Amino acid sequence: MIIDINFIGLIIASIMASAVPLILASCGELITERSGVLNLGVEGMMIIGAISGFALMTVTGSLIIAIFGAMLAGVLISTIFAFLTQTLITNHVATGLALTIFGIGISAMIGKNFVGIPGKEFPVLFQGLKDTIPLLGPILFGHSIVFYFAFALPFITSYFLKKTKIGLIVRAVGDSPESASNQGINVRLVRYACILYGGAMSGLAGAYLSMIYTPQWIENMTGGRGWIALALVVFSTWNPIKILIGAMIFGGLTIIQFHMQAIGVRIPVQFLTALPYIVTIIVLVVISRDSRKIRLSTPSSLGKSFHKDN
Amino acid sequence: MNTNLKISNVTKIYPGCVANDNVSLEFNSGKIYALLGENGAGKSTLVKILSGVIIPDEGKIYLNENNLKLNSPLDAKKNDIGMVFQHFNLFETLSVFENLIIDSDEQRESVREKIDAIMKKYNFSIDLDIPVLNLSAGQKQKVEIIRCLIRSPKVLIMDEPTSVLTEQETSELFLSLKKFSEEGILIIYITHKLKEVMQLCDEVAVMRRGKLVSVSEIKNENIESLANKMVGQNLKTIKKKKAKTSSDQLIKITNLNFTSEDPFETNLTDINFSVNRGECLGIAGISGNGQSELFQVLSGEIISEKNSIEFNNNYIGDLSPQERREYLMAFSPEDRLEQAAIPQMKIFENVALNNFKSSNFFNNGLINENKIKEHSKKIISDFNVNTDNIELKSQFLSGGNLQKLIIGRELITSPDLLICFNPTWGLDVGAINYIHETLIKINEQNKSIILISTDTDELLKLSDKISVIHKGKLSKIMNSEEVTSEKLGILMGGAN
Repeated sequence: MIIDINFIGLIIASIMASAVPLILASCGELITERSGVLNLGVEGMMIIGAISGFALMTVTGSLIIAIFGAMLAGVLISTIFAFLTQTLITNHVATGLALTIFGIGISAMIGKNFVGIPGKEFPVLFQGLKDTIPLLGPILFGHSIVFYFAFALPFITSYFLKKTKIGLIVRAVGDSPESASNQGINVRLVRYACILYGGAMSGLAGAYLSMIYTPQWIENMTGGRGWIALALVVFSTWNPIKILIGAMIFGGLTIIQFHMQAIGVRIPVQFLTALPYIVTIIVLVVISRDSRKIRLSTPSSLGKSFHKDN
Repeated sequence: MNTNLKISNVTKIYPGCVANDNVSLEFNSGKIYALLGENGAGKSTLVKILSGVIIPDEGKIYLNENNLKLNSPLDAKKNDIGMVFQHFNLFETLSVFENLIIDSDEQRESVREKIDAIMKKYNFSIDLDIPVLNLSAGQKQKVEIIRCLIRSPKVLIMDEPTSVLTEQETSELFLSLKKFSEEGILIIYITHKLKEVMQLCDEVAVMRRGKLVSVSEIKNENIESLANKMVGQNLKTIKKKKAKTSSDQLIKITNLNFTSEDPFETNLTDINFSVNRGECLGIAGISGNGQSELFQVLSGEIISEKNSIEFNNNYIGDLSPQERREYLMAFSPEDRLEQAAIPQMKIFENVALNNFKSSNFFNNGLINENKIKEHSKKIISDFNVNTDNIELKSQFLSGGNLQKLIIGRELITSPDLLICFNPTWGLDVGAINYIHETLIKINEQNKSIILISTDTDELLKLSDKISVIHKGKLSKIMNSEEVTSEKLGILMGGAN
């Protein structure tokens, strides 16, 4: 059997494409969590982004409006979460779960009119270069702008947290909101901003699914990716680069197990389907074992409400 | 340049408590001022007002005749008021340098130069690039001080700065503070420790129950006069009557060893001592010399060889704290909120935690709430705990009240032996006196005490016999009449 080297390139590219929504949502949630807020509503925000993007694209015909509209929808729904947890000091976990249930429900309602409508083709970049280099060509070229953004995002996030003043303030708020407040930092403002940013990235992740990855609307089409994104954040120990690794492993195993099922490998399907979840978590646990580093990157105030008393 | 800070008619009222009642004070640079008072006297509220953390209900603050509007900590910083809080305001997981630049608008490089200059000038040596959680308490405090100094403050406020420091670190701090004062920084030093006031300060203002009681120069005061002002009544001097010498041995420790795998713990080598009924054995030492390990071995948190501890003619070295309680031992650990009580639980729930078999607190696995509450109320009234609400979460009790509650809880079984570890750590004079009286009473009832403490005055006051622990080894046991605090000091330093 001759395996075309470009075929391998295509498989790798498809793995990377399936990792995109995970990277986007995880990196957004990572910033939220680094400020000390645990938002379990990622799945809900993602699906809202998916339906908003698809609906706007169908109605307006503009891809730009659709993409930014999906991000805005993510911001709006996360504003509800921010208002509840930061202004009304509700419990992060319960509010986040409610957000997911709300998002799934409302997206199904809006989505009724959009089932079965075909999507639009999303423009890709560097299509002409795809065949110039063997193997690397299909990996590097011919993808959407969102794809390139997603693979830059972990590095941008890492730089933002480590090197910028605002990144430092986000980490400080997550470490000790009391101290930050005593230093004159507006904790509530920082946390609002981080929650809204997380919402925007989840919205974008959803839009990628419904507009680029599988351009159509299907009810519940995020299919638990929001939860995987949440798990990636925790198991990567809040490290954006490890999120990238985790998302690639997860995406890779998902794609490979499809191929294995297709070839007819004699392993129970249920086991193959479960494989990506198990292996991703095992790998991330193994590469994040240094307890000192975990202590340093874990936001100490994660999930705890901060109420400034006077 | 001269700095003048004036607090004028400041009042702050909380529901059910007047934290600051019409307080007026004036400070001038070149002097070190002490703000003295018991826990809950209103000192902390006052300095939080000065640092913009709390906004007063009434009153004004003037710095060099300018009326300051301090609505946030940022305002205090802008007006050159620096503050080092009792509980550090540091970000543990960030590096020292990141902690220092977070509130600065300058370039990283220029701040680093400034920090280096400050460290050189005052002889601080701290690695700027390691995370704060790796620093000792003294180093953390220095980071806080540097953070203030970067802004070249006119006023530096220190809130109970020595509560977490060793003696060595304390004397280093005092040297630095004196230097700052000579350089024209106005220093306000908040404390309840009288000795420190006498040692360091030029003027002292005493607060009690939210009110300013007196302002005077240190040279006109002495420890007794200040203590009386602080507590508001003449303190009884507590003295222990000499115990009748009994030869009835209660506990005997033989060849006790403990080797730890944790490099931050101290190994115990060949510990031997015994305590008779009605006796108090004091164990002195500089903190970190094995006291905590010794306490844990005695309490059963660390299990040792069965025969190494003989209590009431039983070998109990391999028993858990719970089982040792059944043999009528009781324990009061050092860290009240971490080890002795659970801060988020209510008072009566904490009382039940002791979980002694014959207490009848539990019937067939069910909680007998009435019984527990009844007993909690008794503890609160018997031991003078200043609250009548047993539903209160323990974290809202002051240190003194919590310690009284813990001792009260431990005495429920009328134990034969009480083992205390720094029972009066961080408490104010009134509470210390009360705890001391209680401990003496225990001895008078022919019960025994092992008192592990870093406070030599306390040990000399309460113990019948004293030993010193140094690097996990116990000195010979001395009768307390033969011992002076100088002699203890020498032994604590490791000399023979």
